[in-house]
Amino acid sequence: MRALARWLAWPWGLLTLLCLLVLAVFVVLPIGVLTLNSLKGADGGYSLAGFAKVLATPEYLQAIINTVLLASAVTTCTVALGVPLAYVVARHDFPLKRWLAVLPVATIVIPEVIVGQSWLMVLGNNGLVSNFLRDLGLPVPSFYGWTGLIFSMTLVYYTYIYLGVLAALRGFDGQLEEASLSLGATPAATRWRVLLPTLAPAVLVNALVVFTLVVGNFALSSMLGGQVPLLSVQTYSLFVSEVGGDPVLQSSLSVISIILVATALLVQKWAVERRQVHMTPGRAPAAQALRSWQGGVFTVGVTALVALSLMPLVAVFVGAFTEARGPVMHWGKASLRSMERALSLEPEPIFNSLFFAATATVVGTALAVLVSYLIVKKKSRLSPLLDAAVVVPLTISGTVLGIALVQSFNTGPLVLTGTAFIMVLVYVVRRLPFGVRNASSMLYNIPTSIEEASISLGVTPLRTFVQVVLPVMKGAIFSAAILMWATSISELSASVVVYSAGLETMPIAIFRQVDTGRLGLASAYGAALVTLILVPVLVLPKLLRINLFSLK
Amino acid sequence: MTRITIDQLSKRFDKQTVLQGLSLVIEEGSFFTLLGPSGCGKTTLLRCIAGFNVPDAGRILFDGDAVTSVPAYERNIGMVFQDYALFPDKTVFDNVAYGLRARKRPAEELRQRTEEALAQVGLQALAARFPAQLSGGQRQRVALARAMVIKPRVLLMDEPLSNLDAKLRLAMRDMILELQRATRITTVFVTHDQEEALALSDQIAVMQEGRVAQQGTPQALYATPQWAYVADFIGSANLLPVTVAAPGRVALAGLQLDVDTGSLAAGSSGQLVLRPEALRLKSGGAQGAGGNTLGARVLSRQYLGAKTSYRVALDAGPELRVEDTGAAAHAVGEAVQLGVDTASRVVAA
Repeated sequence: MRALARWLAWPWGLLTLLCLLVLAVFVVLPIGVLTLNSLKGADGGYSLAGFAKVLATPEYLQAIINTVLLASAVTTCTVALGVPLAYVVARHDFPLKRWLAVLPVATIVIPEVIVGQSWLMVLGNNGLVSNFLRDLGLPVPSFYGWTGLIFSMTLVYYTYIYLGVLAALRGFDGQLEEASLSLGATPAATRWRVLLPTLAPAVLVNALVVFTLVVGNFALSSMLGGQVPLLSVQTYSLFVSEVGGDPVLQSSLSVISIILVATALLVQKWAVERRQVHMTPGRAPAAQALRSWQGGVFTVGVTALVALSLMPLVAVFVGAFTEARGPVMHWGKASLRSMERALSLEPEPIFNSLFFAATATVVGTALAVLVSYLIVKKKSRLSPLLDAAVVVPLTISGTVLGIALVQSFNTGPLVLTGTAFIMVLVYVVRRLPFGVRNASSMLYNIPTSIEEASISLGVTPLRTFVQVVLPVMKGAIFSAAILMWATSISELSASVVVYSAGLETMPIAIFRQVDTGRLGLASAYGAALVTLILVPVLVLPKLLRINLFSLK
Repeated sequence: MTRITIDQLSKRFDKQTVLQGLSLVIEEGSFFTLLGPSGCGKTTLLRCIAGFNVPDAGRILFDGDAVTSVPAYERNIGMVFQDYALFPDKTVFDNVAYGLRARKRPAEELRQRTEEALAQVGLQALAARFPAQLSGGQRQRVALARAMVIKPRVLLMDEPLSNLDAKLRLAMRDMILELQRATRITTVFVTHDQEEALALSDQIAVMQEGRVAQQGTPQALYATPQWAYVADFIGSANLLPVTVAAPGRVALAGLQLDVDTGSLAAGSSGQLVLRPEALRLKSGGAQGAGGNTLGARVLSRQYLGAKTSYRVALDAGPELRVEDTGAAAHAVGEAVQLGVDTASRVVAA
């Protein structure tokens, strides 16, 4: 009785412990197993032989160098595109500016596997535009390799820079600029010396996010990489070709990937802490209408950008209803064959995706809300540990997470490979840090006193959480759930590693069909996938009156 | 009606001791104020009474019941928070009815009691509104009704008026006082505003560094402070270092004044408390012209309407503030005499 009473009064310690246990088993333990495996020597002892072999093999060494080069190049391009765009949008009005509102939705929510497939259908060897140019007798440079990688990744990732800098610009106190101008600095000098330094942290932080995303990228890297060896693709190939074999090499490559990403994240953390600018909230300057020719330039530019961002959506739907024979698309010739096949003959990937993503949405959202509540509102000695454990998944790319989970749960006391559980698990783990971050920012805005008010009126802490905190968080929870759904159902890099027969999802099906050259069927799954993402993302926020991206 | 006994209460946060073996008795039905600057432990003590803070040592009793380890939700308390703490997703009615629902009152009784409580604070017309649609004063009234409707054993208020503007604060003060006098629920009120404390309380405990410096009625604290700290905190006071020459007589820079030396022994040093409004200001006269006066010179003058506030320098050195309601204006630089009341207190430093 006493124990029960104590638990009712302070149930949070036990819940914190439970969450920690879950994270320890499914996040920390797999990374530990992976690391230990990378250090295994031939004689069973510990050695650095795996790493030595990686560095001695030109292909792997090149892959590491390429990955860093690619990540740097894409980061530079996204900054070059995202920062000016954010500045123009924050400070100027021009025709069609409202179109830009679709950008975050379009680029963040479209699965990378579909982006890759679409560019391949348009600019690939047999692509629509490539063939058109070839028919005109023009030389067609190969899209595969550096060109395709940098081009497609820039278009996918610049949104992170754009949104981050836009938020910083909107929070910028315009009076600082006025102060600078009043002190005699020219507008150009003001932008350079007053505006830029305060934006620099936002740029740096988001640039490092892009860097880690490129390092971890699998779908685009593998579909458009061509002859350019990249870390994630090499790791995956090694895994596929030596399942059951010696895991030392794949573990070593995985650990190198973790080190790369973790380094970027540490630099980011250092940058955030060191360069934090405390801006007193002021009024952001109003947007100015642009004069005629400048307005025209921006309108054309923005239209082009929106068109490029939305191209994959168009391509995948047109492709789904186009006559297809293997990799050859008969553009202009309509057919329902691919759709029919995907929806009625081979619908298993669709059902699998629906089931896994729905389960992951419920479990992942609940876990994210609980964990952030424990971290923000119910601090105890264990909270910092939980706080740290939650961000660990950020350091592991999807491919590496998949390999770590397979190595940990293929044998031993807990066998999960081959079960639906492991699919849901990768979805939940990959999204958890983002879910917790969003829920936390909401929780910081809920005063603790409303909980105490409820408790003082005779309601236990747990019921207070349900009756008072959850209703206030409703909007944030729905946002988190919708984003969880959208990202889970498009997840490829980890699930393609852990899945086995009967567990194929839509992104995996698309990936495999593209690999075997069946672009029609891939498009059909793509159309189904995009529909299942866009309908909730576009419709639910309106119905529930929530703003999906306000919490970013 | 409940009598609250605080017995040897101690509380530390990390390495900071916030309450140091504090003892208090709060009589049943009284309006009791914990007064002190921020960091003196008054809010921590209130939260211990509420059950949100668990003391490290000591006991809290409601009448004869030890409640020290009873969780907050079983103490039957009403609490009014500084930031109102209304549930933003619930209407005014549902906010007020929340505690009755938790107590599973029948629907009819719940409706009736909620409406009564809303009527008491004059908010019947706004029952269907949400907190965001109310003004600050209205929110505070909802918070008050929500805490009172459950007929709590004790009502706890944590700086409930500090977020209101000056005019509303006066109106809310009247409402709180009226409700408390009508219901006679034992009320513990936390504030750093001495005027609020004087206006509302039956008893005030002036707190200093986790202890009660002095407890008493507002009149007693104002008229007979025992410590310089209390004299300074309740009302404003000029404090002059003096030496007790004999019972009822102090020495100050060669002068002797007749004042109330309390229990201080001859030869001990103390602080003479001179209230700005209790000093009488007269023109002219030489230093030590007799009649319990001090010679001074006007340094500056601020006209405040009902009174005039002066800063003066004693011939002996220290500066004092004097509030004068007389018609005569004294010019800056003018030599004046300050008449000292023989009831002025000398307190231990």
